[in-house]
Amino acid sequence: MEALRVENLSKDFGGVHALSNVSFNVEIGERLGIIGPNGAGKTTLFNLINGQLPPTSGRVYFFGQDITHLATHSRAHLGQSRSFQLISLFLNLSVLDNTLIALHGTKRSRFQILRPTNAYADLVAKAQAILTSIALWEQKDELVKNLSYGEQRRLEIALTLASEPKLLLLDEPSCGLTSAEAVEISSMLNKFGRNITVLLVAHDMDLVFGVADRVMVLHYGKIIADGKPENIRIDPKVKEIYMGVEGNASNTATI
Amino acid sequence: MVTNKIIEAIRQPWQLQLIRFTPYFVGALILVILPPLMPTYAQNTWTKFVIFALFASSYDLIYGHAGLLSLGHAAYFGAGGYTVAAMMLNYNINSFWIGLPLGIIVAAIVSAGFGFLALRVSGMYFLLVTFAFGELLYAVTWNWLFLSSPGMQGIAGLPRPDLGIPGFSWTTLNFYYFILIIFLLCFFLVYRIMNSPFGHALRGIREGEGRMQALGYNTWLYKYIAFVLTGAFAGVAGVLFVYYNRFISPVHVGVTTSFMPMIMVIIGGSGTLLGPVIGALVIVFAEYFSSLFTPERWPLILGAIFVAAIMYARGGISIHLSQLWKRLNYRYGSTKS
Repeated sequence: MEALRVENLSKDFGGVHALSNVSFNVEIGERLGIIGPNGAGKTTLFNLINGQLPPTSGRVYFFGQDITHLATHSRAHLGQSRSFQLISLFLNLSVLDNTLIALHGTKRSRFQILRPTNAYADLVAKAQAILTSIALWEQKDELVKNLSYGEQRRLEIALTLASEPKLLLLDEPSCGLTSAEAVEISSMLNKFGRNITVLLVAHDMDLVFGVADRVMVLHYGKIIADGKPENIRIDPKVKEIYMGVEGNASNTATI
Repeated sequence: MVTNKIIEAIRQPWQLQLIRFTPYFVGALILVILPPLMPTYAQNTWTKFVIFALFASSYDLIYGHAGLLSLGHAAYFGAGGYTVAAMMLNYNINSFWIGLPLGIIVAAIVSAGFGFLALRVSGMYFLLVTFAFGELLYAVTWNWLFLSSPGMQGIAGLPRPDLGIPGFSWTTLNFYYFILIIFLLCFFLVYRIMNSPFGHALRGIREGEGRMQALGYNTWLYKYIAFVLTGAFAGVAGVLFVYYNRFISPVHVGVTTSFMPMIMVIIGGSGTLLGPVIGALVIVFAEYFSSLFTPERWPLILGAIFVAAIMYARGGISIHLSQLWKRLNYRYGSTKS
């Protein structure tokens, strides 16, 4: 069964076609890596799937349900979760408060107005499990802005998992990290169970090819290649985009 | 139970809790003990301070927590105040038990209506729309005869509320304690709201609205509920203000009054529980002392306090006080480690 189906999705910004007629399916449990040069429309695609932007045309189906015009928060309740390219944690709140906010997000308790947020023993226990797994439980009372960049990245990903999503949209999870930290992220992603479907946008080829079962290449808002990582690696069109015309470039590194 | 252990684990040790709540206990003690030792005129000032502390706390809910800068907060304050005043003027109903709930309801309805429209925009436009609504209500109170004593703008000569207790009569002091009790109740409610999932969600919206939506929060609804709640609390402050001041005029609905909680919150420290109270303390007592010496220069002094607070106590006085408190603790209190 497919977790996500995108049909003829287009998005214009004024006269700019950020995405044109993009269609693809994602099976449940699949890890789809999306790569492409800057401005290829990767983040726009995420914004359309997660509802930050309305599409100009086309449809998005999530587990068979048409969610094209659904609000972002409703998509979260259906089981979508996303991380952002720029870290978007709540910087002036503590690590524990960040985690509890993420945990309350898809529960009815999010509207509770008089009961203290940390009186929910089950959620606090979950928060402890999450923070222990990313080695941040000791710093639970620290404000997030005082964490290192790598720790913030780990928290960012951990919080997207808090709602136990069915579909995870990861936008540049290793952006700005050292290669050692990126490896940590990569091993974190590989530990996910197969009940989570993952869409991964990244510039870091080691990350994408280390995690994805299938890779899709976007270029100027169009899908130009879609297939197994080993096929994408040798695809001439992809090579051309990334390294210029073959034979002409002095850079002979493979992606 | 395993889960209870976890709650215990995140709870701070009692010494730290004691330190954390000390400022609240000391503050409450000062509010209870000090005013009876003072002359009547000063007691009146304490009453006014407590009312404005409540007004500022209500403003902090929307500004400090949800991060919405509104410039029409006096509209709900005035709506609450005018409700009880108009009831006394037109229907001669003076019961506190009718006046307060009705004042809260009217203030909440007004903020529900204004908020519904104002929350369609954000940032500077939100500020301008709330300002425009405040001025709209100002014009209504100015022109509607139902809201004016004969021959003037505003409603004058209002009595203290009727509590329905036989043989009870108001003094300056028992009126102060009456106001204080309501203030402490509201303060406790605001404290609970701040620490609830709802309060955390508001701060999350302030820090990053896009992320909150992605996490499953209907951020518009949260802002709207916060807006109505803050209007209701401002309504309480307005009702108490009318009982205290015995006079209400369009000025109490207009932008001059809207500025007061904003300045108090910014001076005292936004997003903190004690900040608005400290801000109200500074402003109300500065006004009191300046009225003793040079009443006509009060706006000048207010401006100077505001500039000084922004330049030398950025983030608010309460932030600096709590840092000082922590430093003192660290230096003199940590004998156990």
